[in-house]
Amino acid sequence: MAYEIKREGKEVFGDFKPELIPDECGGDIDDYEEALHVLMKFVGSMSSALEQVSGRGANAIVYQAGKRMGHEAGKMVEKTDDLEKAMQELSEILGAEFYFDMWKPAGQEGYTIEKGDETVVKLIFRDCVVRQTLRRTGLPQKGPLCYLLYGYTVGAVEEVMDIRGKLDIDHVGPNACLKTLTIKWSGK
Amino acid sequence: MVEIEIDENACVGCGSCVDDCPNDVYEMDEAKNKTKVVNADDCMACLSCHEICPAEAMEHKNIHVAKRLYIDRKVNDVLNKII
Ligand code: SF4
Ligand code: SF4
Repeated sequence: MAYEIKREGKEVFGDFKPELIPDECGGDIDDYEEALHVLMKFVGSMSSALEQVSGRGANAIVYQAGKRMGHEAGKMVEKTDDLEKAMQELSEILGAEFYFDMWKPAGQEGYTIEKGDETVVKLIFRDCVVRQTLRRTGLPQKGPLCYLLYGYTVGAVEEVMDIRGKLDIDHVGPNACLKTLTIKWSGK
Repeated sequence: MVEIEIDENACVGCGSCVDDCPNDVYEMDEAKNKTKVVNADDCMACLSCHEICPAEAMEHKNIHVAKRLYIDRKVNDVLNKII
């Protein structure tokens, strides 16, 4: 027998088997937003604890975790060695939570720079759920959580293009962050 | 196209925005001891200059404003009660 805590709003009751996805889960969009905030707070605390315990090693651990996730996500889209198409697919993988564009200074001709067997492209991340989490929890940018996204992006690009990749942070700000993606063709 | 406006009455001429901007958008106007926008085309709207400016002297117009759910007061009130 459960003691029922009084709350506003209606809960959903119905029959449920493990293999079924319920038609309705209950709650409105505000509930989900609150849940997201709690999750952000937890993840933020976890990230700062990880940094306290493992120091700079935390970045490497989280980067690897992100990269593995990125490789898995990259398997769901078509392989290509066309950079523009790969970026399009990457934006589908990263979704609206990580809204990014390719970026170049006004004086530079194209978005890519060729350096020997490497292609370099700058990416500007405009919306980022990691940035939101960090700012929500008062943590600085460029920490372990950012490395989760770097790993994820690199993993996804490596999988989609079948290359070796690297992502460096150029600059972080409260409204956008600039990163340099380096594609090593010889890593194919 | 990004437009940047500097409130010259507010700017204290510290030069922090000049040092902070990675794309050399600002330069100091030595005669006036104020910052000036010299390269708005290269502004990527990161807004780190807004964060560093002690005088809140600049305004960026026509930019993509990142989603900021964490600022929602109602949500934060609820959270503060829980955590
Ligand atoms: S928003 Fe970023 S790129 Fe634009 S002027 Fe400020 S620091 Fe420079
Ligand atoms: S940071 Fe602000 S106060 Fe300092 S020079 Fe730039 S605009 Fe002026």
